[in-house]
Amino acid sequence: MLQAIRSVARSSLSRSLPSLSSCSSRFASGDPSSRKEAPIIDNETLLAVHEGSTSANTIAVPAKVDISPITGVPEEHVKTRRVRIYQPPKNAMQSGTHNIHHWEMEFDTRQRWENPLMGWTSTGDPLSNMKIEFSSPEEAIEHCEKNGWIWYLDVPKTQKNEKPKNYGANFHWNRRTRVSTK
Amino acid sequence: MAGALARVIRGTKTNLGIVGPLANINNVPVRFQQTQAPPTKSKYGPLADQDRIFTNLYGRHDWRLKGAMARGDWYLTKEILLKGTDWIVNEMKTSGLRGRGGAGFPTGMKWSFMNKPSDGRPKYLVVNADEGEPGTCKDREIMRHDPHKLVEGCLIAGKAMGAQAAYIYIRGEFYNEASNLQVAIAEAYQAGLIGKNACGSGYDFDVFVHRGAGAYICGEETALIESIEGKQGKPRLKPPFPADVGLFGCPTTVNNVETIAVAPTICRRGGKWFASFGRARNSGTKLFNISGHVNTPCTVEEEMSIPLKELIERHAGGVCGGWDNLLAIIPGGSSTPLIPKDVCSTVLMDFDGLVAAQTSLGTAAIIVMDKSTDIVKAIARLIMFYKHESCGQCTPCREGVSWMNKIMYRFVEGNASPKEIDMLWEISKQIEGHTICALGDGAAWPVQGLIRHFRPELERRMQVWACTHGPSMAEKLY
Amino acid sequence: MLRQPLSRALALSSPARVAPLAARRYADAVPAQPEKVEVFIDDQPVHVLPGTTVLQAAAQVGVEIPRFCYHERLAVAGNCRMCLVEVEKSPKPVAACAMPVMKGMRVKTNSDLTRKAREGVMEFLLVNHPLDCPICDQGGECDLQDQSMAFGSDRSRFTDIHFSGKRAVEDKDVGPLIKTIMTRCIHCTRCIRFASEVAGVDDFGTTGRGTEMQVGTYVEKMFLSELSGNIIDLCPVGALTSKPYSFAARPWETRRIDSVDVLDPLGSNIVVATRTNEVLRILPRTNEEINEEWLSDKSRFACDGLKRQRLVTPMLKDSRGNLAPVEWEDAVVAAARALRDCPPDKLLAVAGGLADAEALVALKDLLNRLGSEHVCTEHYFPTQGAGTDLRSSYLLNTKIANVEDADFVLLIGTNTRFEAPLLNARIRKAFIHKETDVALVGPKVDLTYEYTHVGDSASIVKDFASGTSSHEVMKRLQQAKRPVVILGADQLKSEEGPALLAYTQELAHKLQENLQDKEWKVLNVLQRTASQVAALDIGYQPGVGQALAAGPKVVYLLGADSGVVTRESLPEDVTIIYQGHHGDVGASIADIVLPGAAYTEKRATYVNAEGRAQQTLVAVSPPGKAREDWKIIRALSEVLGAGLPYDTLDEVRDRLSQVSPALVAYGDVQPNNYFAQARALAQSLQKPVSGKLDVQLKQLEDFFMTDAISRASPTMAKCVQAVLKQKNSPY
Repeated sequence: MLQAIRSVARSSLSRSLPSLSSCSSRFASGDPSSRKEAPIIDNETLLAVHEGSTSANTIAVPAKVDISPITGVPEEHVKTRRVRIYQPPKNAMQSGTHNIHHWEMEFDTRQRWENPLMGWTSTGDPLSNMKIEFSSPEEAIEHCEKNGWIWYLDVPKTQKNEKPKNYGANFHWNRRTRVSTK
Repeated sequence: MAGALARVIRGTKTNLGIVGPLANINNVPVRFQQTQAPPTKSKYGPLADQDRIFTNLYGRHDWRLKGAMARGDWYLTKEILLKGTDWIVNEMKTSGLRGRGGAGFPTGMKWSFMNKPSDGRPKYLVVNADEGEPGTCKDREIMRHDPHKLVEGCLIAGKAMGAQAAYIYIRGEFYNEASNLQVAIAEAYQAGLIGKNACGSGYDFDVFVHRGAGAYICGEETALIESIEGKQGKPRLKPPFPADVGLFGCPTTVNNVETIAVAPTICRRGGKWFASFGRARNSGTKLFNISGHVNTPCTVEEEMSIPLKELIERHAGGVCGGWDNLLAIIPGGSSTPLIPKDVCSTVLMDFDGLVAAQTSLGTAAIIVMDKSTDIVKAIARLIMFYKHESCGQCTPCREGVSWMNKIMYRFVEGNASPKEIDMLWEISKQIEGHTICALGDGAAWPVQGLIRHFRPELERRMQVWACTHGPSMAEKLY
Repeated sequence: MLRQPLSRALALSSPARVAPLAARRYADAVPAQPEKVEVFIDDQPVHVLPGTTVLQAAAQVGVEIPRFCYHERLAVAGNCRMCLVEVEKSPKPVAACAMPVMKGMRVKTNSDLTRKAREGVMEFLLVNHPLDCPICDQGGECDLQDQSMAFGSDRSRFTDIHFSGKRAVEDKDVGPLIKTIMTRCIHCTRCIRFASEVAGVDDFGTTGRGTEMQVGTYVEKMFLSELSGNIIDLCPVGALTSKPYSFAARPWETRRIDSVDVLDPLGSNIVVATRTNEVLRILPRTNEEINEEWLSDKSRFACDGLKRQRLVTPMLKDSRGNLAPVEWEDAVVAAARALRDCPPDKLLAVAGGLADAEALVALKDLLNRLGSEHVCTEHYFPTQGAGTDLRSSYLLNTKIANVEDADFVLLIGTNTRFEAPLLNARIRKAFIHKETDVALVGPKVDLTYEYTHVGDSASIVKDFASGTSSHEVMKRLQQAKRPVVILGADQLKSEEGPALLAYTQELAHKLQENLQDKEWKVLNVLQRTASQVAALDIGYQPGVGQALAAGPKVVYLLGADSGVVTRESLPEDVTIIYQGHHGDVGASIADIVLPGAAYTEKRATYVNAEGRAQQTLVAVSPPGKAREDWKIIRALSEVLGAGLPYDTLDEVRDRLSQVSPALVAYGDVQPNNYFAQARALAQSLQKPVSGKLDVQLKQLEDFFMTDAISRASPTMAKCVQAVLKQKNSPY
């Protein structure tokens, strides 16, 4: 159903398009991760879908799951927060890559301050420490949409063309890869 | 140190036609023999005078061009050159000559690697005259007393691999040898034997001498190449092998002085003649250096596969105090494991015979130690040498050898725990085979030989120390 | 909440965009790819190009082989021996980082032999490594720590350290940025290789041998490179750590926020590490299209400037002429009054080098509503000809990543080494790995690689453009299959600027016409600041010269700190409103100061020199009463009664996308065209030129302090001092 909404939104109506999409080749335009912004679905779109489904003799189950009314998250933290879905960057200080193969979501940073009593960091933001890991951006998007958060996707530019490394190049007879220092 | 430290395996499996891959059997590298031809002779040595290649080994004759020619050097060199690359390489293959620097790689095959179609790069021959291996003094004799053999060998080897020039990397300490060699080269140039149109064969060939600066590691072939290039003598990884990327990035073959110096004689007298000495796959004659506790230390040319005992008794005047006074022998230069007396009595001095005795022919520098020797201290001193000469490039050698050195000197005193003997064994195993070049192996093997044959001596020392000083601190720590 | 008109959105999602243009590689120079060979890593088959190393092949199936010395952007050294793996039919383990794969090779990365080898190597690495992890800055992000946990032995048998101790090595002094604790060094030589290959400063090396081997500079000297900080990242242990960050925090205490650097025009991707409300350090973030994984020293270490010289409260000039802190209300009302009372044609806004696109568009909209068109940037760009109408005239069209595929680079009046260090690193990469040659027209500077110095006269460019030059560089340019011409934007300030640009366009166009690869872009203009491209996109007029000459009554400085606007150049009765984050040149002449947010404190859009829009994220909140810049302008517009039609950031960005969709296409570069048109329009400007080209940043000491943030940074000041001191040293 959610898919239906998306397809309608994409094909017929003006709203909620992947406005800022950057479509890297890893994410072809077909999958949701190619979009970088949350679709904002207005009432017209929803109504259009409902009408369409009733006319086709099937039982329409409203399937757009929105659990935000029952999660107890204050409205302020649903409406005004933006979720960034991203892959954690490799720590430049280390060469291991074990902990960066998943996707994460995080909320925009709000003010933090040093607690005068203990020197710890305080914040008034209940969502600031929420970091959820997903195996794919699709899962993260689904999670955000279920909770009613506006999301955007940050696809890291870490693709590179693999070039075979060559130890012999250090001693190449006429190329500049020849090393002088050790 | 010469190629005692050269890698034993090079090239792909297909390149190793005669010798099979190296495998660890009984903790010592052993070559599998793929075909076991029956030996044709059963007694080896002594070598007849007419079969000696190095006829001026002791410097009793003129070493300059005139004298050398009188002894048969530079005889029909042009004809040999004109017979062409394939003939020379084939003759070397027939002779069964194995590299004299220590690793014992078949020379004919090594040269044949150079005959790939040219890709525009020049080819070089590098002669390893950085003879630094403790106990070894054979190349020095050649360069001092028979330099023309080496120069002529360079020309023939260069022709066989199509090299443009030969670089002779000579140990910095060999001042007299370097000057004799330089004189010989100058004579050869003046006589038109090398240089443009060498010997009138239409082949252009240059020979250069490069003096080292006193680092043992520069005897490792790739470190030697680095050193000639003007960089720190730190070995390169293989692959790429020097035959592919060598000196100045060009195809290069690195050969020991003795290997090159015997080549002209092999070409003149035929590979079959050379192959008639020694056991199969260990053929030829060889310079043996006998030092240590013998009555007349010497360098002598002998047939391969001569029994060790006969070699020492015949040429070195026997062990000081008689054969029964023998404690152990290091048979192939400092990096080979020692062998105790009972093994020495029967072992044949060739590649396979010593491998079977869990040691190695190396450079055939025989260090004899009689019962007056502090064997632990002797090995500790060798390890100190390796610690000092480790280039520091790769971790196991840099850290492991200095660690072994510390332990060894505690073992000399006995201030150690018997449990540490096994630890030392393990450390030596962690070094062996994990380093870039063979210096790590060469440092690990003497220790392994010591532990293998003299463990009771080590334990005895620790007991003695514990009796006088109480239990060693290591006992508590480890 | 409509973000974009339908047509534009559809155009953006059209299939033509599926192939990312920025990632497009020009691989056609390489002949057809050789056939792949099959190898087996832990019995998993993988097909790789011949010559690939075992370590790379393993990475393709997700097997990570431990390593210390190997780094994918540096030459192979093969000396740490940590990557030893068992290969079937090989009696000894082989170094995976240097061993090329062979057909049918079977690699076992987790066999007993492999694990034993790793454990042995790890033990050796630890023999002489001090156990000072609790006081080591690398603790918590140390490769040695992690790998000894994973691959090391479970107990120590270093009895000898109780007899003779561990090795101790004297620390080196390599400058104010890098702290060395050489006892911790494991001799992986990554720093040496980085210095000689990437930084191009062959200062590091090893001395001594065996256990006494030391990494250092032999004679003590500073590591004189603009990329020196990267060796801190590269060091797998704590031997090289950051001096400004020393003993400041542990990695698990900090929060890491992905952001974008604005201190040079490239927009390098960074990670801002914060604790409480303080930026502790900045690390690079991998972006293959911009900075790979390097970062220039200014971008990395100038972050302590964010804590100093900050404007934390609005200020008004009091009766004695001193700026006094006031409430926001007073300041905004005062500013609004000044703006309202000013005749529109006497109103001038000047945007500085660190202004973000949101603030730029808001300020322009505000001034336009007040009836003024005088919105300028500090840096000039010729407006004759096509001027700033065609985006291709002022961008780095080749794109940073593609520069490494170039086969000839012509630099005109730019010192890329200091104006855009990572672009220079790319050129150097091409120089080394692709045999690219470089020529320079301009003053002779040290670019870290060899180049042909053609001269410093502008007429050389004219000769190149007209084809009358007989210089060998001309021939090389014409023969090049993928030439790149980079013009420094600083050269356009002078009278001859328009002509120089016209000639460069002419030259680039002529070269481009003859190329087989029609997609290749030749013309590049390298801007100096992070804001310039966005400002020109939004429609700012480049340069303040004319506007100042008109004698404005009210000048609104949006972070304009480069000193082109001075009290002396303005009429006596002028009112200067300064909005920005640092008390620098601009604030010192202001009558009204409105404190803004620095780049780590706001979610803002910056467009880099390639025309790539990227956004910074909020890492910390602005100090004191400082606010996000576009919000200040929005508030001001409300008081003025000319309310801007956006209340949220999303609405501002909708406005940005109306101005130009490229401004919000985050992460990507839109392809640029109309080179021919720009050249046609500029042809009339091809007048004789005779001047000399000069660059502002010639030496390393010029590099460190170029903007309000780096001028406020004590670390950068120390760098300048240290470099000057090194200059006087005999070494």
